[in-house]
Amino acid sequence: MTEIRFETREIGSLAKPVWRVKSFAGRPLEDGDIAEAGRWGEKLGVDGHEDLVELLGKGNFGDGELAAIDDWSSLYGLRFLEESGLDVVYDGEQRRTEMYDHVSRHAKGFEQRGTVRSFNNKYYSKAAVVDQPSIDGPYDVDEYSFIAERTDKRVKIPFTGPYTMVDWSYDEHYHRTGALGATAEQRADARRRFLLDVAEHVIRPNAAAVVEAGCDWIQIDEPALTTRSDEVKFGVEAFNKSVEGIPSQRRSLHVCFSDYSLLYPHVLELDDCFELQLEFAQRDSRETGTSREERPGYEPLDHFKEHGGPDVGLGVLDIHSDFIETPELVRDRVIYAAELLGPERVHVNPDCGLRTRSWDVAFEKLRNMVEGTRLAEEALNRAHAGAR
Amino acid sequence: MQAYVPGIYPRSEALVQSTRDLDRGRTTPEANDEQVERDLHELISVQQAAEVDLLADGMLRWQDLFRPLVEASAGLEPGPMTRFLDTNTFWFAPRQTGGAPKLEPVGERYIASLPGSRLVTLPSPWAFALSTELTPKEIAEGVLKPQIDALDAELVVLSEPFLAREERPDLGTLAEALEVLTGGPELAIQFTFGDAKNVLEAGAGDLPVQAVGIDFYSTHASDIPDGFGRKLLAGVIDARSSALEDPEEIAGFVAQLPVDDIALVPNGDLQFVPEQIARQKIQRLGAAKTAQAKEAVA
Repeated sequence: MTEIRFETREIGSLAKPVWRVKSFAGRPLEDGDIAEAGRWGEKLGVDGHEDLVELLGKGNFGDGELAAIDDWSSLYGLRFLEESGLDVVYDGEQRRTEMYDHVSRHAKGFEQRGTVRSFNNKYYSKAAVVDQPSIDGPYDVDEYSFIAERTDKRVKIPFTGPYTMVDWSYDEHYHRTGALGATAEQRADARRRFLLDVAEHVIRPNAAAVVEAGCDWIQIDEPALTTRSDEVKFGVEAFNKSVEGIPSQRRSLHVCFSDYSLLYPHVLELDDCFELQLEFAQRDSRETGTSREERPGYEPLDHFKEHGGPDVGLGVLDIHSDFIETPELVRDRVIYAAELLGPERVHVNPDCGLRTRSWDVAFEKLRNMVEGTRLAEEALNRAHAGAR
Repeated sequence: MQAYVPGIYPRSEALVQSTRDLDRGRTTPEANDEQVERDLHELISVQQAAEVDLLADGMLRWQDLFRPLVEASAGLEPGPMTRFLDTNTFWFAPRQTGGAPKLEPVGERYIASLPGSRLVTLPSPWAFALSTELTPKEIAEGVLKPQIDALDAELVVLSEPFLAREERPDLGTLAEALEVLTGGPELAIQFTFGDAKNVLEAGAGDLPVQAVGIDFYSTHASDIPDGFGRKLLAGVIDARSSALEDPEEIAGFVAQLPVDDIALVPNGDLQFVPEQIARQKIQRLGAAKTAQAKEAVA
């Protein structure tokens, strides 16, 4: 038996450094903000970070300076994930405003409609589709190329999925007339046409161009995929349409904060999907242990054992909490999944993007994730060696 | 034909910014309160211009349909963050912490006084009880009845987002709870954002309320039974769509409904569209009422 080795990676977003946020918002930087750029530059070993500190100290940024800050932010995100020890890296979506907004502002056929409350005093911008969506040209190639030129590690690029784009948008085009009193079939047909158009004319050409530029792993993010149980099949169809004909070595699907039982049997129809990256840790106990009772958050893995299908990108970090998972806790979560599914079907990541955590918290979590994964490998390899 | 705007109304961009600033310590609670008052004043003006028949306060301080009542009730607390139906929004499901809940009625901070006859929106007892171990009747007795008794309103609209989605809706427990709430203002139960076919077949028209609300963006008009015995709150404005309705189309649609006593309403809380769209929808609600009246005369 070959030695067990789990691949570690992030899922997508990291918080944006305050020096970046304030610079783009046109707000003055304080000394502490600039010191943060220096501190993280040193900690991450970012070559030439003194130049960034000097730039930030000047203030009054024009387009040229903002473009440079954009690059620095991407480089810091990349080094952050490299220094965390991950096997697969990215830049933490430093250049993207937000996963929905990033796409709706680049695609034709969408118009911004305003702000809607998500909960409490949290809001999100929402756009409406007003014409068949399309793009003039790919919009994530430069992001990928910048990263690829600056790392020796494997790079994975995330793309907001078509179902999430449709579910989070208003429809003023596909179901514009006759909506009052329409049948369920008419409503479903309008949603499906919208969905397939986004997949074919927005997501696919952009992802194809990123792969053409050299990226060998595309991740489709679909946090909304199980929002309507009767539409999961449409989401799977749209995933297949999004990646159709793209010669990437790997394609994967990220879903989170959902009822995963709704994914089956539909996900068995995903075309050549390497894995489903899913959130589990926020549902789990924080105590160590590898028994079923000690890992209640990982109960949905039973569906994967029962039905088979893609591998699992195992979420082992709760991205909504500053609680720092210990390496031992990560170890036990990985061991539980590996023993249930077989180690060859398990890979390791946070539940979702870490954008709501500070860099200090996110860094410690990721370092422990990598260390815990190594502990799991040691334990499993030792056990298998003993069994031989 | 009447028109109302029950439910939670969206915050203006100014109030959105104010609440964001409040969370980040960039403004004071007093300054935020002043912005809430400006939003309320504006909402009243929009409703008056649209000539709605009962004013509503838009529940501008309510974080979700349940929160102020949960926080004002002994024996209840906000529970886990939960996705609201099939939207990208969330609410905190009520959770029981002790024995029977007991509400200290919320005052004008949450149910504003208005310059004219008004309606007040509260959660349906069935929806309220759903995430707790309590029965709808216990919620009605311990939470909703004390609040309704403390109100001065022409109509209380009980918002029910969940029951219509049940395959076999249990209207018996809902009816039992609604009986507790009778004797004061007129009551309406509004089945928001969902196909009401199942609850209509189960006898929603016989519930002990004066009015029943139906979402006609999810429910087919033919599902309203002949002889429907209650006032119909016809959800003809789609609160989940940014598309603006055609008043003439609404008037034509309503004319085919087999009910005489109708009030036009949104099919749920307008908070699911940005405020500048919501105000246009209210204008069109009023225009639809006028168009329907003309059609009836013709």
